[in-house]
Amino acid sequence: MKYETVIGLEVHVEMATESKIFCSCSAKFGGEQNDHVCPACCGMPGMLPIVNKHVVDLGMTAGMMLNCDINRTTTFDKKSYYYPDLPNAYQTTQWFAPVCVNGTVDIKTSKGEKKVRIKQIHMEEDAGKLVHDDWTDSTLVDFNRTSVPLIEIVSQPDLSSAEEVIAYLERLRSLLRFAKVSDCRWEQGSMRCDVNLSVRPEGSDVLGVRTEMKNMNSLSAIERAIEYETARHIDAIENGTEVLVQETRRWDDIKGKSYAMRTKETAGDYRYFPDPNVMPVVIDDEWYNRIKETLPDLPEVKAQKFIELGLTEYDADQLIQSRALCDVFEAAYKTSGLAKESANWIITDCMTILNKKQMTADMLSISGKALGELIKLVAEEKVNRGNAKRILAVMFDEDINPQEYAEKNGLIVSNDTGKLEEVVKAVCAADPKSVEDYKNGKEKVFMALFGQCMKQLQGNCNPQALKEALLKELQ
Amino acid sequence: MDREILRRLESLNQLRLTEEEKEKVLSFFEMQDKEITRLGDIDTEKVERMVHVMPMNNVIREDVVNKVFTRDELQAAAPEAYDGYWQVPRLVE
Repeated sequence: MKYETVIGLEVHVEMATESKIFCSCSAKFGGEQNDHVCPACCGMPGMLPIVNKHVVDLGMTAGMMLNCDINRTTTFDKKSYYYPDLPNAYQTTQWFAPVCVNGTVDIKTSKGEKKVRIKQIHMEEDAGKLVHDDWTDSTLVDFNRTSVPLIEIVSQPDLSSAEEVIAYLERLRSLLRFAKVSDCRWEQGSMRCDVNLSVRPEGSDVLGVRTEMKNMNSLSAIERAIEYETARHIDAIENGTEVLVQETRRWDDIKGKSYAMRTKETAGDYRYFPDPNVMPVVIDDEWYNRIKETLPDLPEVKAQKFIELGLTEYDADQLIQSRALCDVFEAAYKTSGLAKESANWIITDCMTILNKKQMTADMLSISGKALGELIKLVAEEKVNRGNAKRILAVMFDEDINPQEYAEKNGLIVSNDTGKLEEVVKAVCAADPKSVEDYKNGKEKVFMALFGQCMKQLQGNCNPQALKEALLKELQ
Repeated sequence: MDREILRRLESLNQLRLTEEEKEKVLSFFEMQDKEITRLGDIDTEKVERMVHVMPMNNVIREDVVNKVFTRDELQAAAPEAYDGYWQVPRLVE
């Protein structure tokens, strides 16, 4: 018998805010244990949570990027949860009126295009970190991550293979990074995924027994886990190797196996109820439209615009890998009017510096306007390329005006023909042998003399003008 | 509410009730249940859903970091703390 796999995903994404969802502690990743903590996020009695407005902005942004309807009145609820990484013994989340509902994500796979339906997106707080410590034979609790804002994106069970799941997750990641909702870094846990999977005979409309694998944090592990679970389910159905039960399972990527963790809770077990401490958030037209207006183009729309400016498909594709690259490109192009040069400087020179600094494209934070000015200086032959690269390196560390910096540091190409002639004369006088050789037909020495002149001028001259001056001197 | 649901609730809430307490809880819920069932008789067709008990909304703040307490201050009253962590009984073997 042929079977089909039915998969729904719950994707957790940490939002790119400065502070936590219900208090003003830093939401930054890492830090010393319990350094980003206050009475609210460590669950002291009597503390009142206050919603971070930017969390709602980003929740709406995510929803709009995924074609969702926005709930204009959105509320928070308590979800019972007994574990010390959430000190209140509940998680504040959204159950009755999540911020976004009914969206879609378009994916492409080898089998063609597909629309994956989004059930809802809700905003909630993350849990802290537990260290199970052998030395003290106890569990140590770090609340730095407690109350860091998350959105959970819940899909309908529309996915049917590992390939589709990967395509969906990659698309989601690209859209959310583009809209600056999150950096979506799997390795830092800012994107994680719960995979709900069941198997049924092909064509059947009855769902099989569903299992859930929690907290998956790499695409390759997700792919392997889906393949393993699918095979396990089919084996159980066909050969009766085990009785499938609705449960939560843990994926061990090293062993390549999943293990039962606990019987799956039903929604009722969480005993959701409206959080009386968090007031409803009402999104008026002004707020809704403000967010709508700041939405970026979809990556493929941006790529098309870049191609129309004269970039190759390859260049455009490189730039849309990151919103930061697009932003710097657009500003550099606006200032310089030179599309191809702006793309080249970003794709080649900026990326080289980022790699050296072990930074990702998203971390490109130089001023696009300043880059545009630098490109203009090179195009107008006011600064040579070598010096421009040096100036660019400085721009990564300091906020400089390239023209002023070049002037201050003697990096402007000199148009002073008197100075050129002076240097040419001095170089020739200091090396009469080369001059003699040139005159006797050894044309190769020309480049040596040219190089010496260039060195004396510290590269700050128009090469054509120098060539002419040197030829004139040697005649 | 029956004994089975009560047993489930005990486990979810990590409670252990005595037989006497169970009887009390069951009779309390029975009474509640009657009251709640009566609410079903009210015509709420034209009543807008109440989203919150408080007549307030948009109690929100700007996304600004503000550090008010130090870790030591927060852990001063902790029953157990170790190396900057709150310390609790071991959860996994």
